[in-house]
Amino acid sequence: MSQEQRARETPTPDPAAWVDEHGDYLYRYALFRLRDASRAEDVVQETLLAALQAYANFAGRGSERTWLVGILKHKIADHFRRLGREAQAPQREGEEFAHEEFFTAEGQWTDHWETEYAPSDWHASPAALVEQGEFWQVFQDCLRPLPARTASAFLLREVDGLTSEEICEVLSITVNNLWVMLHRARLHLRRCLELNWFKLPEGKH
Amino acid sequence: MRYFLLRRLPACKQMTVLMSESMERPLTLRERVQLRLHLWICIWCVWYLEQLQLLRATLRERAAEDDGATATTLPPEARERIKRALKSES
Repeated sequence: MSQEQRARETPTPDPAAWVDEHGDYLYRYALFRLRDASRAEDVVQETLLAALQAYANFAGRGSERTWLVGILKHKIADHFRRLGREAQAPQREGEEFAHEEFFTAEGQWTDHWETEYAPSDWHASPAALVEQGEFWQVFQDCLRPLPARTASAFLLREVDGLTSEEICEVLSITVNNLWVMLHRARLHLRRCLELNWFKLPEGKH
Repeated sequence: MRYFLLRRLPACKQMTVLMSESMERPLTLRERVQLRLHLWICIWCVWYLEQLQLLRATLRERAAEDDGATATTLPPEARERIKRALKSES
């Protein structure tokens, strides 16, 4: 093997190029999950610094982006763990999102849908929704009022496909806490999207 | 007959919880029967379940593709700050 070949075999990291090539992607990835611009920036910085330190383990094997995203995921999980340690008791979190008012309080139809809150038919499909930027804007707006851990639990489950056990470990909650959070997130999001995206039923709101 | 059932089975409030849990764990036989019967007579809950599943499917599709729907980029100041931090490390 010649001198040039040997030099080519052991690549040197180019961190500035990482920022140029992967910065936007990593930032979007973090921003969608953390929903806070400055936290997302911090986590991208932590990721690239960690990548620089760990470069010897990677050394050009495989896709750079896949490797960086792997580190990013760990940093995001670390962030969520910190969030979990600082947060209040999970059972109390988001009690207002139990939305008791959606259901009839008394009488023979107790606990059935109140007419004005009952779901309408959406006539929608995932393919049509996913490509509309405005839909995602409304979705983010609907996520915003939820307690931080509830929203994170929902995103970790639905976007990252983590198992219940994995989410519980990251957020320091029990499985039952998790299921309550997911239920509340879904109850809230569904209603919020129906009002603000689908605007159904016409004239009712 | 339907109203008889509706009045005796767990109501929509409990069913929304069950529908959410059905997306997380297998339901018991009893739970499945209760849900089936309820959905047979309650169109609102049918729509509710459809919509939870639609939300899941939409998020999965979005997760699968690079964020093509927005043009969000790393802000320039952050970009420079990160480059500086990396430079001082290497």
